[in-house]
Amino acid sequence: MDNAATTFPKPREVLERMVDLYAAKGVSPGRGGYDCAQEADELVSGVRKRLCQFFGGDDPERVIFASNATDALNLVIQGSVKPGGHVVSSQLEHNSVLRPLQHLRESGLIEYDLIPFDGQGFIDPDDVARAIRPQTQLVVLTHASNVLGTIQPIEAIGAVCREKGVPLILDTAQSAGVIPIDISAWGVSALAFTGHKSLLGPTGIGGLVLRRSLEVQSTRFGGTGIDSQELIHTQTYPHRLEAGTLNILGIIGLMAGLDYLSAQGMEAILLRERALTRRLWEGLAELKRVKLYGAAHWERRLGVVLANIAGMIPADVGAILDGDFGIATRVGLHCAPLVHRTLGTGRAGGVRFSVGPFNTEKEIDQAVEAMARISRSR
Amino acid sequence: MQMRSLAGRDVFFDSEGFLVDPSQWSEEMADQLARESGIGRLEESHWQVIRFIREYYLQNGRAPLHRELKKGSGMPLMEIEGLFPGGIKMGARLLAGLPNPRSCGM
Repeated sequence: MDNAATTFPKPREVLERMVDLYAAKGVSPGRGGYDCAQEADELVSGVRKRLCQFFGGDDPERVIFASNATDALNLVIQGSVKPGGHVVSSQLEHNSVLRPLQHLRESGLIEYDLIPFDGQGFIDPDDVARAIRPQTQLVVLTHASNVLGTIQPIEAIGAVCREKGVPLILDTAQSAGVIPIDISAWGVSALAFTGHKSLLGPTGIGGLVLRRSLEVQSTRFGGTGIDSQELIHTQTYPHRLEAGTLNILGIIGLMAGLDYLSAQGMEAILLRERALTRRLWEGLAELKRVKLYGAAHWERRLGVVLANIAGMIPADVGAILDGDFGIATRVGLHCAPLVHRTLGTGRAGGVRFSVGPFNTEKEIDQAVEAMARISRSR
Repeated sequence: MQMRSLAGRDVFFDSEGFLVDPSQWSEEMADQLARESGIGRLEESHWQVIRFIREYYLQNGRAPLHRELKKGSGMPLMEIEGLFPGGIKMGARLLAGLPNPRSCGM
């Protein structure tokens, strides 16, 4: 139950498709004149189009491949801010946002403010509006908390940003592939995603979907397969933000993951995960020594449940769940230290259960029973 | 990091009380740390866990996996957790003189 870190296992169909297509077309896309290279390039372009449509983008050429959501967030944050600028973000963020912002602050380039979240785990759009200053260049927010699972009111925040004329960057590491997203309708200027979570692809692939309204400067430079006579990095999208040979195996995996989601129905997966999450939450809520965090609003949360057992170190609870019961969870701070600081769990964190598409009711019940036995042991 | 005199030698501990240099560990040191932590005298069941962790670490350069700890010590992890007031990480692992795992999830 560590699917918020990476979904496991992956669908067999995805893995088999990756092997078959990589064996047939795993050459360097867009770098050679031979037929197979052109076919590989077409495959890559096709996946850009699929992703653009999937996320409600407005230009497939502005779908940029990166290694993961962290890499994509670095690309868009570092390529968008200018010296003297200001960024608004939140205390719900993962270090994938906090650390680039802190680096830019310590480099003397920008200032940033982090808006709080409420006791249920939600950001207030009015707080975003209040935090925006004349110097604000970006608003960067998570779509869904990786610690609490709470889905943020992005449409309302997008309206605020549109009114204030500030680009909104969305971190969809937890939500892409499980919640329908439409960045054009929501007023989002750029979205960062990763392939290895709910998109059910492999690790090592993710990307950005940029709207035409947002220009991002190159922050990495190198071969793009075009304009090779120029020493200046290609400035047309997507090459402007990509350098070096693409991860075609990962891109094939993304395509196979999208096909799998399409065949299974993303809504059906979401409803199933929500039902399992609710079963887990309600089971754990009955245990006297177990504390749960965040809102029990099922329509506004993903399959993440954060728990602690009174008097026990979360790392030890996770070790017992793993060693004695064969249940894998993620313990600690979940790379989101400010969330835990706010929750009062800032030192040792908590035990995060995260449900995926292949978990079963039986596994949920086993997890509840394991937590009951552990909590009774002390 | 702070230096303390323990079991007849000067040793460095990190901010969480883990030995900085695991090679400085001794059984006398574990005994003294156990008394300080409230365990009192280490019993055979404690030593069974501590010695397994210690030997595993010296042979493999890392702490045992959870399933290895269960099998090697002959005890469920829940029992080990209850045996040491600090639990597995802050109790057993610390008394065995292993370095502090820097991962936030360990």
